[in-house]
This record gives sequence, C-alpha cells and structure tokens, in this order.
Amino acid sequence: MPVIEVEGLQKLYGDFPAVQGLSFQVGPGEVLGLVGPNGAGKTTTIRSIAGIIIPSAGTIRIAGHDLAQDPVRAKAALAFIPDEPHLFEYLTVEEHLRFVGRLYGVTDVSQRIPGLLEEMDLTEKRGSLPGELSRGMKQKLAIACGLLHEPQALLLDEPLTGLDPVGIRRMKATIMRRAAAGAAVMLSSHLLHLVEEICTRLLVLQRGRVVALGTTAEIMAGRSDLGARSLEDVFLDLIGQDEGAGL
Amino acid sequence: MIRTFGYLAWRSAHNRIARQVRHLRSPRYVAALLLGLAYLWFAVIAQRPTPATADLADPRWLELVGALALLGAVAWGWIFGVERRVLAFSPAEVTFLFPGPVSRRGLIQFKLLRSQLLILFNALIWTLILSRERFGVSPWLRVVSIWVLLTTLSFHRLGASFVRTSLAEHGRLGLRHRVVSLAVLGTVLIALTWSIGEALPRLADADARTPFGFLSALGEAAAQPLPTALTYPFRLMIRPLTAPSVAAWLQALWPALVLLVLHYIWVVRSDTAFEEAAAAVSLQRAQARTERRAGTTPRAGARVTAPLFRLSPRGWPAGAILWKNLVAVTRTQRLRNVVIAMAAGAVIVTALSFEPEGTLAELAGWFAVTWAAALTVIGPQWVRNDLRGDLLKLDMLRSYPLRGGSIVIAEVSASALVLTVIQLSLLVIGYLAFLGNQSMDPPLHTRTLVLVAAFVFLPGINFLGMIIQNGAALLYPAWVRLGSGRPAGVEALGQNMLMMVVFVAMLAVTLLLPVAIGGGAFLLLRGVVNGWAAIPAAILVLGIMAFEAAVLVDWLGGVFERTDPAAAGIG
Repeated sequence: MPVIEVEGLQKLYGDFPAVQGLSFQVGPGEVLGLVGPNGAGKTTTIRSIAGIIIPSAGTIRIAGHDLAQDPVRAKAALAFIPDEPHLFEYLTVEEHLRFVGRLYGVTDVSQRIPGLLEEMDLTEKRGSLPGELSRGMKQKLAIACGLLHEPQALLLDEPLTGLDPVGIRRMKATIMRRAAAGAAVMLSSHLLHLVEEICTRLLVLQRGRVVALGTTAEIMAGRSDLGARSLEDVFLDLIGQDEGAGL
Repeated sequence: MIRTFGYLAWRSAHNRIARQVRHLRSPRYVAALLLGLAYLWFAVIAQRPTPATADLADPRWLELVGALALLGAVAWGWIFGVERRVLAFSPAEVTFLFPGPVSRRGLIQFKLLRSQLLILFNALIWTLILSRERFGVSPWLRVVSIWVLLTTLSFHRLGASFVRTSLAEHGRLGLRHRVVSLAVLGTVLIALTWSIGEALPRLADADARTPFGFLSALGEAAAQPLPTALTYPFRLMIRPLTAPSVAAWLQALWPALVLLVLHYIWVVRSDTAFEEAAAAVSLQRAQARTERRAGTTPRAGARVTAPLFRLSPRGWPAGAILWKNLVAVTRTQRLRNVVIAMAAGAVIVTALSFEPEGTLAELAGWFAVTWAAALTVIGPQWVRNDLRGDLLKLDMLRSYPLRGGSIVIAEVSASALVLTVIQLSLLVIGYLAFLGNQSMDPPLHTRTLVLVAAFVFLPGINFLGMIIQNGAALLYPAWVRLGSGRPAGVEALGQNMLMMVVFVAMLAVTLLLPVAIGGGAFLLLRGVVNGWAAIPAAILVLGIMAFEAAVLVDWLGGVFERTDPAAAGIG
C-alpha cells in the first residue's frame, strides 16, 4: 500500500497554475526524487503534500489518511524538512527534540535523543542555542527533528543545502537507512548526481506539469535518441534547455 | 551617493506600499481599510474640545507637559540605551552598503533618509490626531512643526547611540573622543537628578485629586531656575506646535530649526578614521543587539538558563508551543530584569509602607498600580511571544499535526499568561505599598477585594486582548508587523497610539456583553443575597468571556488552517 498518494493535484495562484494534474504514488522503501528547473513547481508540490499549502484541486493521502479530511493524523505520519531550517531561537538543540517529541506524542523521546544526536553529529551541541550553530548544524538539527517520530513519509526540500562533504555523506546514508526501514521518501533537489545516486524513481516537473516519471533507467531509455549520454543531458532535453548540452 | 540612497529608499517604500495595496483585492482587507478610514474620520472630523479639556489645552500646560515628556524620553534613552532600531540595518543593506564604497557619513545619511519615511508617516498621524482647535493654526503648519520635532528627536537618538556604542567599544579612547557630549550629558543628568529631588516634596504635597492640583505643583517645580534651563530646549521643540497664530508659529519655528540643524551637525560632523572604525563596529554590534532584543538571535555563547519546567512527552500536544513560548520569554534579558526589579520593589515598598512617613512607598505603590492598569491596554502590544512572532515560521506550524484552534489557544495563552503575571505582580506591589496605611480610602478590605477580583478577571481579559492582537496578525499578516519587534521610539508613537486606540475599542466591544450581563445579574441578585451576588455575577462574566473566547479561537483556528503562506506573503 502506498504511503504517499497524490491524485490530480493542482495549485493555482490567481490564474497562474503552479502545479497541475499531478498524480503519483510513493510506496514504503521508495525514494522519489523531484527534479525540475526553477519555478517548475517542486516546492509547491512538496509543501502541498506537507499540508502547508492548500491545493486548489486534487487529493493527497498520507499513510491512508486524507490530508484535507483528517489533517492531524495525516501530518502525524509525515515529516517535512525545508531547505531553510526554521528553528526556535530560544530552544537548545535537545529542547527542540523534546518539543517535537511532545507535538508528535513520542513518549520515549529521552531514549531516542542520544542516538539521533549521534547520527547527526550534534551530541556536543545538545545544550547550544541555534545562534551558536553553523548553517550546516542547523540543517542537521532540522533533520533530526524530522526523524524523531520515525515518520512513514519523509519529505525533504533540498536536503543537502548547507552541509559539508561529511554531512552530505551522512545525510545520504540517513535517507537510505530510513527508506530501508520502510519509510516513503520524497526529496526535491537540483543536484542530479544526488538523485541519480539515492533515488529509486524520478519525477521531472516542468511548468507545473509532469514531463517524466520512472526510474532513471526508464527515463533514459525513453530518450534513447539522445544516445544515453547522461541524466543531465536527458533532464535538459526534457525541460527544453539542451542548447548547451553538447558543449 | 545621496541620490542612490534616495532611489533605494523611494523604490523600497513604493514597492512595499504597492504590495500592501495589492492585498485590497481581498474583501477582508477592503473592510479593514474602510473601518480604518471611518475611524480616522471620526477621530479627526468629529473631535471637538470639550469644556473640561479646554483649560487643560492651554498652550502653557501643553508646552510644559510636552517638554517634560520629551525630557523624560531623552533621559531614559541615555540611561537605559537607545541603540534599539536606531542603527539597525537590514541584512540586504549590510550586504550591499557595508562592503560598498560608502563612507561612514554616507551610511549615516542613508539612515537619516530612511528614518524620514517613518517620521513623515507619524507626522501625518499626529497631525490628524491633534485637533486644529488646540494645536497650531493650520494642519500644514502643524505637520511641519511635528516633522521638525520628530526629526530632531530621531537625530538625537542616533547621536546618543553613537556616544554610547563608542564608549562601549573603545572605553577610555572613546571617552576622550566624546568628552564634550559626555560633559553635557553628565551635567544634564546631575541637574535632572537634583531637580527631581527638589520637586518631589512639592509634588507629594500637591492635591492629586484634580489634574490642575498636580499640574500647578508641576508648573511651580518646573519654574525654578534649574528645571527651566533643563526643559528650555524641549520647550523650544514643542513651541511651534502650540503657537496660536502664523506670526507666533514663524517666531517659534526658527529656534526649533536651529536645534534640528545642530543635531544634524552633531550626528554627521565627524569622519575621522577612528570614527569610521567605531561606526562600523557599532553598527554591527547594534544590529546584533537589536536582533537579540527583538528576540531573533540570542547572544552566542550566552549561558542558557534552564526552563521553568521540563516538558513532559505526554499530554496536550499543543502544550509544546505554550512551553516553547514561555521558555523564550524567560530567556530574554529584559524579562529577567523586570522580574528582579519587581521582586526587589515588592520587598522595599512593603518595608517602607510601615514607616511613619510612607510617602515613598505610596508613590511606588501608585506607580505600580498605574502601570498594572496601563498594561491592560499597552501590554498586548508589548508582550508578543505568540503568533505574531511565530507566523514568520508559518510553514513549520502548518506542518505540525495540530488543529488550527489548538495552535491559536497555545500561542495566545503564552502571551496572556506572561502579561497577567506581570500585571498581578505589579498589583501585589501596589497592595503591599499601602499595607501599612490604615487611614487610606478605600480601606484595606476593599483593596483586598479589588486584588482578588484582578486575580479572577485579569487572565480572561488578557486572553481576550491577546486573541484580538493575534487575530489581527492572522487576518492581516501583510499589514501587521510580524516578529517580536515593533516600531519603537517617540517617532513611532503616533502609529502605536493609533493601533492602541483601535485595540481598546475592540476589547471594549468584546467585554461589553459579559460586563452588561454580569452587572445586570449582580443588580438583580443584590437585593436578595447582598454582596454575595458578586459570586454568581462573576461566574456569569467568566462564563460569557469563556464562550466568546471559544468562538473566536474556533474561528481564528479555521483562518489559520486556510491561510496560504505564499498568498499571505509569509512563511
């Protein structure tokens, strides 16, 4: 049974369609990469699934709960990690986790915190305020907060922004570990090598519409006329920006 | 360079206003605009001086009270710090202007130019607020008078902030470079302290039952040579506002203009290398300090105090938001100072109240009680650890597995709780201050009843007040300033007053029903059970207030769930 189900998603801003006719599913253990040029509708899509934006049309179900009809249970099953970490300036690292634990009803929060801090390399910073953390550490804390309640659906918007090479490697391992544990992961990124490396399927958006959906191999096979040069070439061709691809 | 700054300031203001005007496509914003215009019309056109206020509007009293208020505001700024906002540059301004080929003088001129937008806006508001009959000969002359006054004050705050930050950064070196400013300041502060000491007995003996009794005593105290000298510059600043004719206005304006020019020279005169470095550091420091005070960035490396209580993982999920907001308040320096001052004040006034000459304790008592009452009106604008701060993180709030109503309750409860605790503490201080006074009217048992009533009703009143404030932020996020900070200083007093009057009107409307029904019940039952009628009446009042709060929370919860962060321009 899919964890994330999106059917006929549409979001209009005035008359402008940010996203239209979007339908897809993400099952347990899958990592769906959302790619597309700036303004393609990636963030709108991911924020709609996170319950932040109200869609103009369509249905979204998280772990079987309709997001519009039963938002609390649907949101309890997911975690949204934005590209820009939004932290509370007066809560320490550990207090952020306790705060999130209460929100999501994680009764064994004290037992989970040490492991998560270790995983995110934040153990030494557990008593620090966000003002004392680097950009990368803040991002790690936001990720730790998202992982605390072991969500069935994990939504990440540009998850590697601000991370150093070690952080990037850890982050990739974390994402894959969660997927292997049965979470449905959906991430948006401009880094094609990342999505190629860790995503089991890709969803390519252009002007709010799906231009490709499938595994990397399937998408590349669909454009065999390009001579299967690279995912980047295929991506640029799909979005109609391949003028410089041969350079 | 000034043309570039002008372009930046003008285009930013233009685009900001255009963006806010675009929200008028929403009926909600149109309704607010119409209500606002109706309110302004009522406040400006309909206002007429009443016979009772006509005497108080005598130019001499206005000049005296205005000059003392300005003196107090300026002294407060020097003693307790004036950096707040004065030197705050936006991140974009820091990014583009600080590394750019812009001198210190250029930065200051930009800041002065930028502050003119706020000043002009507030000059307009004050021109509308102050009726023609009482202030000045025409609205056009009045707006010039107010602009001169507010601009001078703005320059003064900027100059004062330079002196303070220069001292903080450079110690003795800064002392040497600011010797003239500091000598003037020291002389003024000593003279001020001495004058207050001299005036206190006269004011304590004044007949405080009528405004004239107190004003007369104030006038006499201010007429002494030293207070006259101290208030003279401030009188010069106020005088154009109270001039009865065009000729008098012209005569009063030029000294005020001279003061303005002197302040301008004071602020921009120095451009030595030392000043360049000091200004750069002070600007950065001031910005960080502004952010900390506004609650955006606590000082890095500062010791983190333990929260008042540990958050249990079990219980009402939205309780986490309430806890988070209370933790934020307890970790701000300002609140700690308030708590320490209150605790010390309570001990001192209690001890003093049993002294045979309890004047000082009673003065402190009246001060505390007056502040507690005033906080009912100004507190909800001042205490902002609620949705007004968190709406900037609307994305995160919306992703939490909580109903909108739960979030609204948790957010509103946090600030209502903080305000109530501060007010009740002040009332307890006031109560203790008069504890030893056996001859006071009202007697002790009445004062005790009033205190008990405050404990019963204030939480509800503050909760409703905070719902109004949070509701305004939720309904009009594009027009209400979000975040912990708000326009501050004398320059922004006009718009803050305008907001306060609107808030008071809305709170009064909200309290009308419970007070009317509760009052009616009390009058009906009093004949049967005497004073005990207060108990069912109070229960009725609280019940209706709770019902109103539930309806408002439910409605605002729905608004929260329907608010699109992108469309609202937040998150």
